[in-house]
Amino acid sequence: MSFLAQTVRQVLRQAPTRTSALTGAMRSLSLAPALWQQNKPAAADAAIDVAAIAKDQQKECQSICERVNQQVAKMEQGRLFAVVHLCGKQFKITAGDIILVEGYWPPTIGDEISLDKVLLAGARDFTLIGRPILESGLVTVKATVVEKTLTHTKTHFRKKRRKQYMRINFQRSPNTMIRINSIELARPVDASSEAEKEPSRRLF
Amino acid sequence: MVFLNIPLLVRARGPDEFWRKRRIFKLAAHYRSRTRNVYSFAIRSVHRALAYATKGRKLKKLDMAQLWTTRVEAGCQQYGVGLETFKEGLTRTDILLNKKMLADLAIWEPRSFEALVKISRERAAVEGFPDIKQRSAFNQVYGLRNLKLD
Repeated sequence: MSFLAQTVRQVLRQAPTRTSALTGAMRSLSLAPALWQQNKPAAADAAIDVAAIAKDQQKECQSICERVNQQVAKMEQGRLFAVVHLCGKQFKITAGDIILVEGYWPPTIGDEISLDKVLLAGARDFTLIGRPILESGLVTVKATVVEKTLTHTKTHFRKKRRKQYMRINFQRSPNTMIRINSIELARPVDASSEAEKEPSRRLF
Repeated sequence: MVFLNIPLLVRARGPDEFWRKRRIFKLAAHYRSRTRNVYSFAIRSVHRALAYATKGRKLKKLDMAQLWTTRVEAGCQQYGVGLETFKEGLTRTDILLNKKMLADLAIWEPRSFEALVKISRERAAVEGFPDIKQRSAFNQVYGLRNLKLD
């Protein structure tokens, strides 16, 4: 360790300006939380009134939300798309789509379901991004189970040459088709309304 | 007394030759030249084809994953962000879209994808990833707490 410290000291002596670059480069390897590792804001920035800028930022956020809400109120948003999490897979869907769920899945034909894990929803002019999912009730995705079938027969064949080894199996797994009926914004987009009352819970 | 069963069973080896061969020939119907018509050639190529099909089902998934990676990388490179930075930035912001979705968004929803890249880059700058050159506006002005999660 001592020789390491020595070389480090030498480097520091030779190039004192390089230290900041070095620490910056090793930052990704550090175990300390990122909060402690920030570069301190420059002196010029300290003079800026932080509260005023934060207010401006909040106003901008509100105006964006309002514009989205206005558009939705006028029904001008067009067709929505959504990314939903279903059976361990993510699907990008829009109204009228049919998606295929592979493997065993209990719902039967005619079941009306709502897909609640919406990771992302978007329209022509705006996108709502969930962290990781949008809060419940913001976007409602309704779907119907349309068909339950089996896949085509898949042949599972293995053979080793000159070893008298050959196996053949046939398998069919269940498939379910789901028709997406509608994707709608259920209530106005406003981060401050219900999010503060009920902190978002992780569903998985 | 006549034993009908046992002596017959000794010699019973599978179905009739015709049917056994026909099963193979049916699979080889679309092959060319003698692999279609000669049994010894046909069975060789049918076995090989079935083995390839079995392996191919796994390879298909790997290939798709590779393709999605390529697409996402191309998508975020047009905004000057590397793939690893992009993904790490998204994860730290708690956006858990998978590669397939990101690739789809990059192609079909370019503006949503651009927003994701911007979010990711901002997070990367705030947390001080080594390969992000520009400093974050948030970091300089607002401090971290504005980007803090729940």
